[in-house]
Amino acid sequence: MATNTPEEMLQEARKLIGWETEPVPSRYPVEYDPIRRYCHMVGDDNPLFMDPEHAANARYGSVIAPPFFIRQTSGPGPWPPRSQEIPTASGRVLSPGDRNIVLNTEFELLKPVKVGDRISQTQRLVDVYIKPIRLDPKTFWLVNETIFRNQDDEVVATMRNTMVRHRTPEQVKAAGDAEA
Amino acid sequence: MDETMTTEAKREQRYWDDVNEGDEVPGFERPVTPTQIALQVSGSQDFYEVHHDQEFARAGGHPDIFVNTGFTTACFGRLLSSFVGEAGWVKKFHMEMRRMNHPGDVMKLTGKVIRKYTEGDEHLLELEIWSENERIGVTTPSTATVLLPSRRQATS
Repeated sequence: MATNTPEEMLQEARKLIGWETEPVPSRYPVEYDPIRRYCHMVGDDNPLFMDPEHAANARYGSVIAPPFFIRQTSGPGPWPPRSQEIPTASGRVLSPGDRNIVLNTEFELLKPVKVGDRISQTQRLVDVYIKPIRLDPKTFWLVNETIFRNQDDEVVATMRNTMVRHRTPEQVKAAGDAEA
Repeated sequence: MDETMTTEAKREQRYWDDVNEGDEVPGFERPVTPTQIALQVSGSQDFYEVHHDQEFARAGGHPDIFVNTGFTTACFGRLLSSFVGEAGWVKKFHMEMRRMNHPGDVMKLTGKVIRKYTEGDEHLLELEIWSENERIGVTTPSTATVLLPSRRQATS
């Protein structure tokens, strides 16, 4: 089977720029315990995120999620697998490597996310290009934008991130490309 | 549990009026221990092997596993939400994952106020925040725009 060159793959990938997914709903509403685990991860004991009684009498009237929580917990989640593939903009980009590193992330937070909210997200591929990194001269760089909406169709947050997708040193060697 | 798991004992509301450019954003430390890696997976639900499987990370050309974006973002989330308090709001955040944090590193998160201004009714601050470790220095330079209540609004 003929293998496409990285440049040919990029040509295909660039056709996806601007393509936006349908809204992908989260599997469950925003729940207490994932928020608690998220806070536990960083040692955050903020009662606004974890104490329903405190939060009921505070500004938002209920527990809210920490600032960037939805990035990790929106969508179908890692288990169980869904029967049909959930389309993501970057997931449709075919590239020589499959090792990902996120390089930067940007958020704009517009509304509080409360326990019980049903969050959906749409993703858009903003840009894709090849630029070498130390590990791989044919590294794909992908810029994605995600819009998070709640059950009232209000945009609660937007996120933009840049990630690279590279090959392993072994794959680079096998392809006969010199490391950058 | 390590001592960085201690709580923010005082949660007094910070007011815009009392903050000055150059003020420090109080921070905290997170040592990258095996337990912290387990907490990272639990809290972020990120099961990508490069963040917990040493052999997988090394085959990819990395010296070791490294902490993920979700954990790092959440650290800044804690820093910022503690700073703005319940009456404040984190509006914007930009984070550069320039260098990696590996097991053995101690991530130290902190920052400073670089701009104090108003926009319409909003009392805003621009913050420079970062994560650093002893091995490299600053690994994760970041910025944020946050909103604080003003004493004038609070009393009017």
